[in-house]
Amino acid sequence: MAAGSAPRINSLALLILPSALLFALFFILPIGLMAVMSVLTGNPVVMPNVAFTTKHYARMGNDSYYLEVIWTTIRIGLWTTLAALLIGYPLAHWMARIKSRTGHALLLMAVLAPMLTGIVVRTFAWMTLLSDKGVINQILTSLGLITRPPQLMYNETGIIIGLVHIYVPFMVLTLTGVIGRIDERLEQAAENLGASPWRAFIEVTLPLSLPGILAGSLLVFALAISAYVTPILLGGFQIMTLPILIYQQISANFNVGFAAALGMVLLVISLSLVIAYNHVLGLVSGQRELR
Amino acid sequence: MTSLAKGPQLPLAAPIGIAAAPAPGRKAAPVRWGRRFYIAANVAVLVFLLAPIAIVIVFALNPTPFIQFPPVGVSLRWFEKFFASRDFMHALLFSLEVAAMTTVASTVLGASAALAIARGNLPGSRLIVATMLSPLMLPAILTGLALFQSYVLLDVGRPLWGLVAGHTLVTIPYVVRTTLAVLHNFDVRLEEAAQNLGASPARTFFEVTLPLVKPGVMAGAIFAFIVSFDQFPVSLFLVAPGSETLPITLFNYLKFDLDGTIGAASVISILLAFIVVIALDRTVGLRSYVKL
Repeated sequence: MAAGSAPRINSLALLILPSALLFALFFILPIGLMAVMSVLTGNPVVMPNVAFTTKHYARMGNDSYYLEVIWTTIRIGLWTTLAALLIGYPLAHWMARIKSRTGHALLLMAVLAPMLTGIVVRTFAWMTLLSDKGVINQILTSLGLITRPPQLMYNETGIIIGLVHIYVPFMVLTLTGVIGRIDERLEQAAENLGASPWRAFIEVTLPLSLPGILAGSLLVFALAISAYVTPILLGGFQIMTLPILIYQQISANFNVGFAAALGMVLLVISLSLVIAYNHVLGLVSGQRELR
Repeated sequence: MTSLAKGPQLPLAAPIGIAAAPAPGRKAAPVRWGRRFYIAANVAVLVFLLAPIAIVIVFALNPTPFIQFPPVGVSLRWFEKFFASRDFMHALLFSLEVAAMTTVASTVLGASAALAIARGNLPGSRLIVATMLSPLMLPAILTGLALFQSYVLLDVGRPLWGLVAGHTLVTIPYVVRTTLAVLHNFDVRLEEAAQNLGASPARTFFEVTLPLVKPGVMAGAIFAFIVSFDQFPVSLFLVAPGSETLPITLFNYLKFDLDGTIGAASVISILLAFIVVIALDRTVGLRSYVKL
């Protein structure tokens, strides 16, 4: 049987070749080149005598400025993840449990439409809301609640607000998938046995949705630490994060080697997060098949 | 389409809902308050998600050159300014051009890759899928940086094909995912039946497989188009000065100015996003591809 269907199957397998070529030439090779560039003294095409060096990595380790940048990036990522989780969970729960089809479709559209709007546009939206003469400060001033407008952007808070808005849909969609797989009858059983809806949620739904919380958090964190537009515009060019530093090394200093080393740091962090994310979600779907 | 996917769940869910219903009668007060808080929290989240988009639309229609709230009137002057601006028009057309080329490339490559993965019996197909989806998960700014460095090393400058290749790379995952989803869901016996009735493998492919896979490929193509149109981090490294995509032009403009022209440009981008969401709902149904 397997031998009989093998020839037909193999001809279709050839269809992988064009994309395999694209990935080899434009993805795997360039990332490999980046890894090589991060340990070379210069551009091997222009300079004939380049040598192996660890100076780019040493520079990061020795200068507290760069460690500070990495820490700022991680701190912003952590706050963004926490806020996205707190905001995203109720919506994900509602989406997973809503009975009405129209209601579900509308919720899904409300989550997807911002997700499919460009990052620059959404960052601009937050600039109109948060700037000194922005919508929020104008409303607060006209209501007489404040006299001097507080600074809502050009600081980390502004960046985090913008990033949460951009990445909360990813949290919601990940959580909805996991919560939707929790058997609703478990909650109802808890309530029939006398638990309040709140207690049923805390003791039944929440623990069962932990893999979703973990997966969603890993994803949002990975996305938040690699953001460029939002930190630079809402941070008003004042706050330095890893992606901003990487681009600056290219555009202003043209230090390709150091940019590559910074890129490798970001790559290693993101890659480990993504592997963890896939592992967690793999466990969830595995459980479902076992049940 | 959405209704089809949800259909079978309803008969099951409804009686359970009724069975649980007597509880609120016994302890009405706590249940209601919790419920109210739940709804209020969710409405607040929805406002947070959608208000910024609404504000941009208001800002684009408001005639004043600075942000004013509440708005003082409705005018299309910012749209006129946007469509009269050579820079913005050039960028808009260039973005559409890049998005069109990217859509063709990633739809053809992604759909054939998905077919190979689902029907080709390839060894290590899980690793292949993971690799093909990885541009989605890894920071796009690194894809841009790595490609930029390679182009510098090869001394090719910043060619259009280089930009389209970068965009194709970050849009292929969507096509692969939507096509794979359809391929995994449909009944292989349909293909077997066609062959048992005497159709050649090629004829089976064109008359059975292809029509059934079409919605998934279409959804992938729509995704590829919008993601390429909005793409920023890869373009940041790969656009040549003088021929920038719309997001890059908007970004450069935003660094210095916050007037309604950006609002008008944004509204066009938002409209495109809504059209895409509705188009996706019509082609395959929103549910089938939101699995992350």
